[in-house]
Amino acid sequence: MTEPPRQITLDEWDARHEALRAGGLQEPFYGGPLRRHVADGDFRLLRLRFDDSAAALRLWNFLLTEEDRLHAARAAGKKIVGAMKDLGTVPVMAYSLPNLVAFYPDGAWWIPCVMELSAPVFRAADSLGVDESFCPVRAMLGAFVTGGHFPFPDLLTCSVGATCDDFSAVAQRLNGLGYPILWWEIPARRRPDADEDAIELPGGFRAPAAQVAYVKAELERVRESLDTLAGERLDETALAAGIRTANCVRRLLAELRSLVFTAALCPLPALEMLIAEMLAIHFCSDREETIAVLRDLLHEVKGRIERGQGVLNGDAVRVFWVNPVADLRAMNLLEECGGRIGGTDYLFCHALDEIPENLPPMEALARTALADPMVGPASDRAGRICREIRRFGAEALVVSRIPGASHCATEGDVIREMAQSQTEIPTVEIEVPPVCDSLQATLRTRLEALIETARERRNR
Amino acid sequence: MICAGIDAGSRAIKIVLMNAKTHEVLASGHTDQGVTQAALAQRLLEQLLEQVGRRRDQVARIVATGYGRNLLDFADTTITEITCHARGVRHLVPEAMTIVEIGGQDSKLIRLNPQGAVRDFAMNDRCAAGTGRFLEVVADRLSVELGALGELARRSQSPAVISSMCVVFAETEIVGLLASGTAPEDIVAGVQKAIAARVAVMAGRSLDPPILFTGGVALIPGMVEALQSALGHPVAVAPQPLMTGALGAALLACRREGAARTH
Repeated sequence: MTEPPRQITLDEWDARHEALRAGGLQEPFYGGPLRRHVADGDFRLLRLRFDDSAAALRLWNFLLTEEDRLHAARAAGKKIVGAMKDLGTVPVMAYSLPNLVAFYPDGAWWIPCVMELSAPVFRAADSLGVDESFCPVRAMLGAFVTGGHFPFPDLLTCSVGATCDDFSAVAQRLNGLGYPILWWEIPARRRPDADEDAIELPGGFRAPAAQVAYVKAELERVRESLDTLAGERLDETALAAGIRTANCVRRLLAELRSLVFTAALCPLPALEMLIAEMLAIHFCSDREETIAVLRDLLHEVKGRIERGQGVLNGDAVRVFWVNPVADLRAMNLLEECGGRIGGTDYLFCHALDEIPENLPPMEALARTALADPMVGPASDRAGRICREIRRFGAEALVVSRIPGASHCATEGDVIREMAQSQTEIPTVEIEVPPVCDSLQATLRTRLEALIETARERRNR
Repeated sequence: MICAGIDAGSRAIKIVLMNAKTHEVLASGHTDQGVTQAALAQRLLEQLLEQVGRRRDQVARIVATGYGRNLLDFADTTITEITCHARGVRHLVPEAMTIVEIGGQDSKLIRLNPQGAVRDFAMNDRCAAGTGRFLEVVADRLSVELGALGELARRSQSPAVISSMCVVFAETEIVGLLASGTAPEDIVAGVQKAIAARVAVMAGRSLDPPILFTGGVALIPGMVEALQSALGHPVAVAPQPLMTGALGAALLACRREGAARTH
């Protein structure tokens, strides 16, 4: 009889790791007990609850060793691309060349949470005039300046135009400090006029053909820079192969999401699902290992479903969660309040959609980039969320705001109003700062009230 | 058999004792909130039980709600104040469709469905500008009792415009208004207007009448008029506005006790 899965603390993981090792667990080179990351300063781990599977351990170790991987890549002579503000396009191109590694400097926004504000990244950003009125992504600026987190990239790219104001300001400040950036522009996606050629995009959106052509031309500029950096041409064959591998990641995530969101018993906690989905953006600096990590998770989830096992009570309310949280603890809190993750839109849904393989690769990438929820109207994003709510059978909606994040300022109302009118599920908007301990009581009240309302509705 | 509902709010603890079968309120009371919340609530509970000649072991179920609900470890269940206020108000006013609750530390707007269940809600607990705390600040600044603010506001001929969205800055604004000779009654009326305006923002574009106003701030004269003006709809003060959360908690305790006994 297999032990039922459960969520455990870091202390419990110590014993669990020993038991798994004694049982013959084979770990990858970055494996080991989770506790060692606390010694590196990741104090937030002490306050989180984790899935107790070996697959989840691998996921966490993979996530928390990314900086080591980047340094190892540099030592091995590989070139490093920092793909800023681009959620899933430039990394697909970079990984199509064997001697390039791409990462996501914006991910530094989680440093203050994971390190519980002990990291000096915010102080460094403050000193550069980018204070707490900005999105926590300003932590990235501090990470560059302090140089203590990732190696300085050989090439920095950043999409601009229809991207959030805060990030543009942070990136421009970085540029102004002497860090060269290859800017590429993504226009605000608009609906085609009646007399314009229209093109279907992944995610069910449409855009004028001229906009797709423009983005394609911008991505061609990025390709040229990657060619120069790599010292070889990123040709159509290599790019098509890169797209196929990226799609392998996306298909794994699609299956994982579908199983986890719809299973009768929740087979994987919200926190691990958030981390897993984030892998789609830049493969956590190792594309092949991302596939292995996701296959492991999928195998675990399928096994749990077959055995009728879950990590939460069967009556947990399925909650659709919009936007990533600045404090990972919020995902645990959802479950402590009686919810389970039942659908997500973490602002990079387009990186979860398969890139069309029946099109010329650059055309396919341009269409995917233009399907980014952040570059289109809020109503497009809300519409997609409503479709996903229905598809996964979510019973409630949380719109999580990020303090200072300008792209969220007005979207929340649009999404909530459309969800209420189209799906009639209860909704709530919350704000989660990088460390939400002092707000936990108010967050708990909102989430509990949402769960109570959804349960009452279910009982009717 | 009796059940109890306890609303541990930020300013006061309220308790309702209820006959579990008939839903008759046997006793109710409130006391100021303090640091030792659980002890204060226990003491009030014992006092109310003594009033009705019952013992603690005769209370079949206790539901705690409010800001301090999780600190009342002697309660059987905790339920949020959103659900409890909805239940309490709807019990007293069965036709209620929208509830505005303004307490000492937060404000809420709760929309109900025709059956009386919560359909949707919005909360402001991050900013004191839409809460009773704003009134406390102005009472302190004007050196008047909180309870006298309403009467003062009634005398206002021209409410002052409080433009600040933040109580801390608004306090500075009030100092400036006083220095410029603005009458205290106009300042109080202006503050009431500002609180109501914050609630109106929370309400958004659509509101289903009847709208009921509950919570401690509903007891302050002038607030309901300010709210009506800001919302553009008639607003009625709920009966016993201080107690609707505790009443709802008691009703939910009775329902849960009934369900447990059925099973």
